[in-house]
Amino acid sequence: MNRHFDVIVIGGGHAGAEASRAAARRGLRVALVTMSRDAIARMSCNPAIGGLAKGHLVKEIDALGGLMAQATDQSAIQYKLLNRSKGPAVQGPRAQCDRDLYPRAVQSILGREANITIIEGSATRLISSGTSAVRGVLLDGNEELLAKATIVTSGTFLRGLMHFGEEKKVGGRFDEPSAETLSDSLRELGLKLGRLKTGTPPRVHRDSLDLSRMEEQPGDRTPRTFSIDTDGVRLPQVLCWLTRTTELTHSLIRENLHRAPMYSGQIEGVGPRYCPSIEDKVVRFADKAHHHVFVEPEGLSTDWIYLNGISTSLPTDVQERVVRSITGLENAAIARFGYAVEYDFVNPQQLLPTLQVRGVQGLFLAGQINGTSGYEEAAAQGLIAGINAAASVLRESEFILRRDQAYIGVLIDDLVTLGTEEPYRMFTSRAEHRLLLGCDSVYERLTPLGAKLGIVSADRLQRAEARTSRMRAVQEQLESTDVNPDAPTRLWSEAFGAAVTSPTSAAKLLTRMALEGIHVDADGAPGPELAAALGSFLELNEEEREGVVSRIRYAGYLDKQEREAARLRQDDHARIPVGFSFERPGFSREVQEKLDRIRPHSLGQASRIPGVTPAAVSLLRMYLRQEASGGRTTDRASESLS
Amino acid sequence: MLRLDGPLVPNILLKLTTRSFEPRRATRVRIRDRDDEIIDEAVVTLFPAPGSFTGNHTAEISLHGSPFLVERCISEALHLGARLAEPGEFSERAVLNGKIDLLQAEAIVDLIESRSVLQASLALSHLGGSFSRAAEEIRGELLELLTLLEGALDFADEGYEFIRRDQLLDRLKKLNRRLELLAGTFRRGRAVREGIRLVLLGQPNAGKSTLLNLLVGSDRAIVTAVPGTTRDLLRETIEMAGLPVTVVDTAGLRETEDVVEGIGVERAHAAAEEAEIVLYLVDARFGIVEADRQELTRHPGAFILYTKRDLADPPEGCWSIAATTGDGLDDLLSRLTSVTRERFDLGSAGPAITNQRQLTAVEQGYEAVASAIRAVESDTTEEFVAVDLYRAAGALEALTGAISAADARAEVFSRFCIGK
Repeated sequence: MNRHFDVIVIGGGHAGAEASRAAARRGLRVALVTMSRDAIARMSCNPAIGGLAKGHLVKEIDALGGLMAQATDQSAIQYKLLNRSKGPAVQGPRAQCDRDLYPRAVQSILGREANITIIEGSATRLISSGTSAVRGVLLDGNEELLAKATIVTSGTFLRGLMHFGEEKKVGGRFDEPSAETLSDSLRELGLKLGRLKTGTPPRVHRDSLDLSRMEEQPGDRTPRTFSIDTDGVRLPQVLCWLTRTTELTHSLIRENLHRAPMYSGQIEGVGPRYCPSIEDKVVRFADKAHHHVFVEPEGLSTDWIYLNGISTSLPTDVQERVVRSITGLENAAIARFGYAVEYDFVNPQQLLPTLQVRGVQGLFLAGQINGTSGYEEAAAQGLIAGINAAASVLRESEFILRRDQAYIGVLIDDLVTLGTEEPYRMFTSRAEHRLLLGCDSVYERLTPLGAKLGIVSADRLQRAEARTSRMRAVQEQLESTDVNPDAPTRLWSEAFGAAVTSPTSAAKLLTRMALEGIHVDADGAPGPELAAALGSFLELNEEEREGVVSRIRYAGYLDKQEREAARLRQDDHARIPVGFSFERPGFSREVQEKLDRIRPHSLGQASRIPGVTPAAVSLLRMYLRQEASGGRTTDRASESLS
Repeated sequence: MLRLDGPLVPNILLKLTTRSFEPRRATRVRIRDRDDEIIDEAVVTLFPAPGSFTGNHTAEISLHGSPFLVERCISEALHLGARLAEPGEFSERAVLNGKIDLLQAEAIVDLIESRSVLQASLALSHLGGSFSRAAEEIRGELLELLTLLEGALDFADEGYEFIRRDQLLDRLKKLNRRLELLAGTFRRGRAVREGIRLVLLGQPNAGKSTLLNLLVGSDRAIVTAVPGTTRDLLRETIEMAGLPVTVVDTAGLRETEDVVEGIGVERAHAAAEEAEIVLYLVDARFGIVEADRQELTRHPGAFILYTKRDLADPPEGCWSIAATTGDGLDDLLSRLTSVTRERFDLGSAGPAITNQRQLTAVEQGYEAVASAIRAVESDTTEEFVAVDLYRAAGALEALTGAISAADARAEVFSRFCIGK
């Protein structure tokens, strides 16, 4: 038996959900294959979305018409803006979510897409024509699903192996089976696979904790929701707590290191350097007497608590003692033990920036299978893979975001250009044009692109456009409003610690004032023009206000980054034709091998390959120019003699 | 000697000599042309890729020197697929293959063009990587600071302190001092590479031309008792303090109706303004007169030298000479040498900037770090400070031309080691 679709998505995680929806919104018939309908968008690890740089990804997904931000707002039980003391470009919105409500929110969004057919089952192998095209997938060994494009978002399920201390169990997630045979299909297509691992911490019952011994971590007073579609907070908000490990914790871990699979050599996969297990942290930061542990409720209707910061694969008996050595957790009752999971991943250097496998028509990969960690990184890739799979079915041009356009552009360019040897996590420092990629400008940068693709709803587009023009208008009004140091203005401005002593503009004045508590007096103290400008400024929401002020205050830095980005953009636009030969005089063998392996699609990408020197880039630029002008390449081949 | 470079080298050698070669071993062999006729008995050394200077297969063929033999050998090589090298192409290939960086390539040019011992030894030291290492050290410090700043941004909620503001400021200031010192080496580097100019100024008949002839050791300038004999500039190169020094004789400075002499006087002033060292000659018999005072205000850095000390005693402790007899020459040379050594810091070892490209890169680095310092001082947050530091690192990368910005960023990243 077989069924035909336009796009098949294998896996219903955060990548699979975005991929399915993006393709469906293009009007394509999508099959979403998942082992269990209820498991769609399950939060395997921490019940939180966003954070530093990850929050940026979520906003970008929203701006492009994705679903993650919306689902987050429908299930958020605590909002917190990280890095509040820094500039807006590096602030990261984060939300603690209800573990049950988040997947339900995603499922209901997907349920509204008539084009998506959810099929419960396990993909046993890919159906391909030779090694150059994939035509679909074989389900549970008997049913064939056929489509022009297949997106594999297998998460940690490819030959997933869980470790609880010495105990091993085959599976992709607690109590869920793994996908054992799909890896073979990928290998048969010539793909190189590797092994990664990740871990999750133990969960405990709330009533067994002594919260009075921990520091309360309330959410923000004025929560910043994620999606531009959201008006206000939906759910009751909760507290989190902060506690820390003790010397006893550290000595327990040190004594039992030999029983931790990573140290005993039981796990072959490489672990996440940026989200290490507590074993890792104790060993690596031996001089630190304590580590933070964030105590986070998993939802409104559960008493499970997530212990953020102590992901571990220690055996259960040790885990229990480790947990109970932490301040306030002395009597903790463990609800579920932490574990490590190992899984297959595909070196993403084998992908095009569209996330299509290079040289294999109709096969796209997204999410953890590409070596990333994190829901947000997965969702971002899912969205792009969905968009490009749809584009390939519809024979439209590919959709690639540049590094100066979006963190998503940085993410995918990093993956396909640099590859990864450990689970890849997004950081603001990975983006060289970070100042241009603040959350405040995300709708301005990306929503028009999403709208052009037809995946942004009319409502979201309208809100985004209104927001953009609102912010621009206010900025212009502030910049064109002159402020004179007359007595009433001086008196008024002194109250905000920014006394006006010489003529200035409302914009400049604003950058010197403490933003909190600015108000315009009923008697119109600062004068009608300034009052009007400030009045329109105050009508913006907090995020928009900060955006406007930072654009004024840091205009010099923004200009510098914009100029630099514009310079590099030219290289990104210099496309390298498919089939272009890098076997040319002047390239060292090393450089040539690297270019051949990555097969960069643009001069810009070539310049970012490690070890490709500026000299080699100049030479490549010259060859591309010659090729473009149709001229015969001057033969520098040849031997030279003197 | 003939040098062949490129992938075809082993092939061409095989056809020229009908044998194969052990790597890096000078071998006596007969070179034959396409008709199997012997061209010459030569010494051939093969340097296989990637261990050669350029990173390609390279062969060196030493012939018996006759231009005719060399011509014949070249024409055979051309016949076998070679072509003539462009100027500097061997170095260019070495840069492309990552065997040397830009600073080293520039050192090769300096070495080839060197006109003095000092220039040759500075170029050799650069070729050995002394400049590249200095640049790399500064860049390394920048990357370390960047890693700390990035850590503070990306792991802000971990409760770790990466670097205190005062420490950051302190390290930035030290860094800028290093860049400033490096920029300062351009005085020495330029002097060593281009030499310096020593201009002789003074009233007519002060003895400038006589001194020039004495310094050069030949009757280069026409010397007469008639004031105003020298009309135009006269240049001769001597070596002093290890540097090539261009000594410039000039027209005597005086008000004149004579158009030609007037132009000469203007040229004298212009030459003195451009010169690294100006000697102002004063006839010991008359001492410094009003006209001299006026000229000396125009050239305040000039050294005063009393001439004709055989005819009158100069003031105590002043520089003086009797140029017609040569009395006082050694003393003058040793004074000039020590002034030169001091002024151009010739006693310093270590790398020195030798051209404008290098200076521009170092100055850009300096400017970027200075901007970072201002940002830190005004409590700007890390992400903005980082913009300046990446710019500074970029300037140093441009200096060596060996590292791409993307590689630098990856380097910052690989140093990250922290967890949540």
